[in-house]
Amino acid sequence: MVDTLIIGGGIVGTCIARELSRYEGTVLIVEKENDVANHQTIANSAIIHSGHDPIPKTLKARLCVEGNAMYELMEQQLHIPILRTGAYVVATTSEEEEILKVLLERSIENGVLGATLLDAKQARVLEPNLSLQTQKVLSLPSTKVTFPWEVAIRAMQNAIRNGAEFRKNTQVSSIRKIDNGFEVATTNGEIILAKHVVNAAGVYSGVVAGMIEKNVPYTITPRRGEYFVLDRRVKGFVQHVLYPVPTKAGKGVLVVPQTHGNILLGPTSTHQEEPERVGTTREGLDYIRKQAVKLAENIPFDQIIRSFSGIRATSTAEDFYIKESNEVKGFFHAGGIDSPGLTAAPAIAKCMVEEVMGGSISLRKKTYFDPIEPEKKAFHDLPDDEKKALLRRDPRYGNIVCKCEKITEAEVIEAIHGPLGSDTIKGIKKRARVGSGICQGGYCEETLLKIIARETKKRLDEINYYALNTPILIEETKVKR
Amino acid sequence: MKTMICIVCPVGCHLSVDDSMVVHGNRCKRGEVYAIKELQYPTRMLTTTVRTTSREIPLLSVKTSDPIHKSKLFEVMKELKTFVANVPVACGDILIHNILDTEIDIVATRTIEK
Amino acid sequence: MKTDICVIGGGAGGLAAALSSNDDGVSVLLVEREGHLGGILNQCIHNGFGLEVFKEELTGPEYAERFIKEFEAKKIPHLLNTTVIDIRKTKDFLIDVSNEANGLFTIEAKAVILATGCYERTRGGISIPGDRPRGVMPAGSAQRYLNIDGHLVGKNIFILGSGDIGLIMARRMTLEGAHVHGVAEIMPYSNGLTRNIVQCLHDFDIPLYLSHTVTDIKGKDILESVTIQEVDSEFHPIGGTEKTFEVDALLLSVGLLPDVHMFESIPFEKSQETKSAVVNQFCETSIEGLFVCGNALHVHDLVDWVTKESQKAGHFAKQFVKNPVRGKSNLKPVETGGFVRVVVPQKIDFGQMENPFELSFRVSKKMEEGILRIEQNGKTVREKRYKHLAPAEMESIRIDPSFLSGDHPIRLIVEEVVK
Repeated sequence: MVDTLIIGGGIVGTCIARELSRYEGTVLIVEKENDVANHQTIANSAIIHSGHDPIPKTLKARLCVEGNAMYELMEQQLHIPILRTGAYVVATTSEEEEILKVLLERSIENGVLGATLLDAKQARVLEPNLSLQTQKVLSLPSTKVTFPWEVAIRAMQNAIRNGAEFRKNTQVSSIRKIDNGFEVATTNGEIILAKHVVNAAGVYSGVVAGMIEKNVPYTITPRRGEYFVLDRRVKGFVQHVLYPVPTKAGKGVLVVPQTHGNILLGPTSTHQEEPERVGTTREGLDYIRKQAVKLAENIPFDQIIRSFSGIRATSTAEDFYIKESNEVKGFFHAGGIDSPGLTAAPAIAKCMVEEVMGGSISLRKKTYFDPIEPEKKAFHDLPDDEKKALLRRDPRYGNIVCKCEKITEAEVIEAIHGPLGSDTIKGIKKRARVGSGICQGGYCEETLLKIIARETKKRLDEINYYALNTPILIEETKVKR
Repeated sequence: MKTMICIVCPVGCHLSVDDSMVVHGNRCKRGEVYAIKELQYPTRMLTTTVRTTSREIPLLSVKTSDPIHKSKLFEVMKELKTFVANVPVACGDILIHNILDTEIDIVATRTIEK
Repeated sequence: MKTDICVIGGGAGGLAAALSSNDDGVSVLLVEREGHLGGILNQCIHNGFGLEVFKEELTGPEYAERFIKEFEAKKIPHLLNTTVIDIRKTKDFLIDVSNEANGLFTIEAKAVILATGCYERTRGGISIPGDRPRGVMPAGSAQRYLNIDGHLVGKNIFILGSGDIGLIMARRMTLEGAHVHGVAEIMPYSNGLTRNIVQCLHDFDIPLYLSHTVTDIKGKDILESVTIQEVDSEFHPIGGTEKTFEVDALLLSVGLLPDVHMFESIPFEKSQETKSAVVNQFCETSIEGLFVCGNALHVHDLVDWVTKESQKAGHFAKQFVKNPVRGKSNLKPVETGGFVRVVVPQKIDFGQMENPFELSFRVSKKMEEGILRIEQNGKTVREKRYKHLAPAEMESIRIDPSFLSGDHPIRLIVEEVVK
């Protein structure tokens, strides 16, 4: 029997796993997909929001501001990439200017540091491509940008370092209360016994809660957000995260610089029934183009290399639901975590473990917890002497696999092996960025396929794109024997 | 009445051939010759690949020495599915003589040293 | 490592450039990222290459072999499995390269010839909406997986784009046992050779949907279906014309783009039309001594033209090295008019007009008959009639300095002859 079973391996589940691994007791995290971080965690704007937007006194407001501050320590300990962009909320009309004033007050009430109003001229000093229709901006210097799935991967690696276990391809099918805990069944016939269960199942958190509760205190109403990705050669086009003035639908279509130089445009906000249909739509993509031009001039749309979409786990509770179950002791909800979920994740984890779980069960801190995950920079971002040293150790740092992003074979091999390694094309893309450039893997996917096959001792047609049973190659055309 | 597009030159005349084998729609004599041949004995060059004994280069590109009758394409593909070329092989080497009694050979189009 | 000329790329362009710049007094070093020479020709196992250069019809590998044999016989120095990371310039060019054998090092060269070919436009580049499952890939990738690695990428295929790559793959996949459900083409006509329409589509009863494009892709983890729709004259999908095909692979043949973006440190002037460098009649970029040729300069329809252009680039690079002091450069842009969509070179150096040179151009619309006019200073200096001009067919015209006067820019105009 494990002490705590966490259902869901996204940013929230992995941060909770890490937090729990500071304490005595066994932690097992189960994830239904073939990798850590698969849904919301890999399809968002990557922003660590300042906290200007959530309604004061909500959990969203409190944990957003706390989480934002905690990312400083996360950067030092987990060595995740952080871009200190700051943000501008852009007002183009006098009505919008009034809303900025409200947002400023809200920011102050939420404890956001450094929020201030600037006129268009001042704003344009640092942001020359700002829309010419700008009248005023709300400057939010504490806004940052990170690389979301890397945060989840490193948090999970650190949790594993401190004794936690991660199991992929494990989907929970039922939860039953037993004497001293829970009996959790999975779709592949496993039974997991756990003293406590944490529900961090994202867009499925309502479904998972419904496995054990008669009246789940929230319903997930999935909301799709579509994005464009611009090639990293547009780096420097904007410095700040640019927000429009928010509406009921959400924060609106943004212009967001990314940690590797790319820029994201988006998201849209469209309600949909299916929790996992992550297709983009013509209407959604057209909408982004129309809205983005309100924030910046000369947007380099010809540098679009990709579009994607993600589903937010918006819930009827309208705030994060981080509580123990009303019906079943020992079952803890991290339900309806949509924006600002990425920002709040470390604070959600702390709140869940210290306040919610700590208030209900006895937790004892370990005498030894190692919070550090060693730094792992991309080879071609290192200074020359470090490159030379690595090359001496492993000449495969000299073999370029992804020419667009300059990723080497040695880095690919590292991403394949290890407790949180991956043997899929997309899994390696997440870890080593192979295929993230302008040719989108057109050249390097084949090389990557061959390396994965060699390293995992599999045939070429056994290598999956992402999920199980998604081989890139179907069948061999010539019979060997 | 059979119709087809002529491929002899970039114009691409739309041809038709009636029951008495008279060609219509051609702007030159070559089109007439092409149409009759297409109807009576349509041939195609086949280019494909075969396995090799090389570890580094597992496939060898090959071609038919001359165009073969259209109807034989899939048969020849099937025959080549299990063929293995021994390396070293030079571009131009005849790998199979008179494949399936067509009097046409299968020729290597690449040199593989090892 | 020092050399006079560094050729980047060992495909059709690089081989031709290296062979023509190879000379007793000039050293050449070719850098190639794969483990063998030949470039994309190695996976183009079909016929149709060499009609102009060799007066024979060859397959891609055979065409490459002719040059590789000569290249190896001449013992021209080359590095395989070596990727160029960046090109810098101080006095000479500094080419930073990387390979497993030697790690990171720099090649110093007086002149550089970029012959790096193209990469394929991707799904992301044309923003096809829908799910993002396994099974959507550029046609060239599928070609490589099939012809080099020996694997099909699907059993039920749909192809977007009726350029030659798409048509060739339709045939190739069918011969190897896949079922190609159709080819969609957004234009009202196909870009490919008529021969390919007949021998790749008609021969196998593969339907061609002109004025159609893919408007939806469905599949959670693996591709399940694609939907195409007819488009109007503005290329907007027309509601009610949806056709859905249950396929497990969608091959994209939607354009080639010159692969020159990775040379970030060297700020050569770029052309919006070709998406590559702006060059003069010597294939020389705005950076003296930096030449671009082949598909890396602009997409060619026949590899024979790549060879001819690259031979010239090699020749001019050699001249540049032998006579480093160039005298007065007098660059003027080539202006265009009428139905000329793109012209290469984009600039003429009137300071070096000893020899005739070629202008390559593409028209913006199909026409049965057209007139090309070369104007200088308002006067027509040359006229040529063409039958059958099409955007998909690059044409060229030879300019003899003897019919130009002074250094007024020349203007290339194509007008349609309507009967």
